[in-house]
Amino acid sequence: MSFKVIKSGFLATIQDYGRFNHAKHGMSRCGVMDEHAYSWANYLLNNVFDDAVLEISFGAVELEAQLDVLIVVTGADLDFKINHKPATMWRSVQVHKGDTLSWAIPKSGIRAYLAVKNGFDTKTLFGSKSVNLREHIGAKISQGELLNCVESFDTNERLMPIQYIPNYNKDITLRLLPSYQFNEFSMSQRDLFFNQTYQITNASDRTGCRLQGMPIILKHTKMISEGLSYGSVEITTDGLPIILLKDAPTIGGYPKIGTVFSLDLAKLAQKQPNTQLRFELININEAQEKRTVFNQFFEIFA
Amino acid sequence: MHKIVLAGEHSLLIYFSKKIDPNLPKKISNFAEQLIAKFPSLVIDLTPSHTSLLVSYNLNLTTYQQFLKQVEQCLNTFEYKSNHAASILLSIPVYYGFETGFDLERLLAEKQLDLNTFIDIHSSVKYLVYAIGFSPVFAFLGEVDSRIRAPRLVTPRIKIPAGSIGIAQSQTAIYPIDSSGGWNIIGRTPIDLSLNNPSNIDKFKIGDLVKFYPISKNEYVKRGGKL
Repeated sequence: MSFKVIKSGFLATIQDYGRFNHAKHGMSRCGVMDEHAYSWANYLLNNVFDDAVLEISFGAVELEAQLDVLIVVTGADLDFKINHKPATMWRSVQVHKGDTLSWAIPKSGIRAYLAVKNGFDTKTLFGSKSVNLREHIGAKISQGELLNCVESFDTNERLMPIQYIPNYNKDITLRLLPSYQFNEFSMSQRDLFFNQTYQITNASDRTGCRLQGMPIILKHTKMISEGLSYGSVEITTDGLPIILLKDAPTIGGYPKIGTVFSLDLAKLAQKQPNTQLRFELININEAQEKRTVFNQFFEIFA
Repeated sequence: MHKIVLAGEHSLLIYFSKKIDPNLPKKISNFAEQLIAKFPSLVIDLTPSHTSLLVSYNLNLTTYQQFLKQVEQCLNTFEYKSNHAASILLSIPVYYGFETGFDLERLLAEKQLDLNTFIDIHSSVKYLVYAIGFSPVFAFLGEVDSRIRAPRLVTPRIKIPAGSIGIAQSQTAIYPIDSSGGWNIIGRTPIDLSLNNPSNIDKFKIGDLVKFYPISKNEYVKRGGKL
């Protein structure tokens, strides 16, 4: 039982909460880029928090249901349709055998999530179903491929209250933890970083988000390589930031000015190139409190 | 002395030294093992590197302040027992040729060495695995003889074929899969180090030793090497 891929799109991959306990083997954490939209999708289906979903970037995807299945679509508005008619997002929908699901172009945000009741049952690799193209672990969906899942029926319809549906066109300010080499950056370097508006470049993907702006001049840019955390912000040789995301390498040797708070990275995951953004500081206690509230709501145990 | 810094909302970084030291990799691995044995439910991921250890912990069960104290206690009571006998020596065949070693000709000219001398220098050292990272099965090996060291390329290559052997200053490494990269490429191994063979995940372990040995073009092709 499965969905059949009719059109594979630009970039659509199976992702879950991520691949843990393999950083020592050089494997990225991977997993969904927008944890907020992902967690809602699983929540609305009463799934386990780390069930696997299809992450659809930019659209051009068409799937045919080969079974009756309960689904939820969240995240970006990519002009989601069922049988060529506009369909509802952020609520559980009963799909029937033979139905066609499609995502065309980004109208708001860039990454949509298709969750199915009980999650996609694709191959588990090194403890996770997440695909990592950079590491050649799994592959993006391809035409004719079957995405396995189990049959399910609408028992209790759940939807997200409309006022909570995120507006992905809103400006964002990324909250930054003063981590790693933060204290080694001078006052004037930090001022330049926090007082300017950066722009997301085209060279951004699941590995990292590269920003354009006024460069920070560094005296020494090479360090001994060290472990990289999700969201850490490298200042590279040209003085410009790269925010390291889910498929980033596990270690690296550029100085890092801080680490972006994870729930802001979820918002960043929906931003197109050329979007402007700024940074502001957050302290560890506040970040942990906010994330813990999120984890408790969605029953995230990792 | 140890230094601990914040690394993220659920991770911290422990520095064991400011300098690279061949005794550190095993010591750090050893500490990582002890930490996970002591806090199996708290620790969710560990990233050892040359002089440091990144520790990710379960935010639902502890806080930064609390976990920091626990790690500090662990560090204060940590006793490293070195065990030299446990190091494994891996031998990797390499075809050092101009078709596989894209930067070999340039390096020979820059270093004013002939090919045989260059090969001797690179293949006579037992390299230590300092860290695994960048991508799976990518082992940072040191130290490269100063006569053949070279800085990373200014513009990284878009595609380096799987099996390529690279040099970046004092480090050498094998690219397990086709990838982009800026290291100086000096040859290629016919051995498959990709995760198509899942047991490769543990091919290199921190603290192990790796030695390269030269093979001929014929031998390279016979063993499945591509040109």
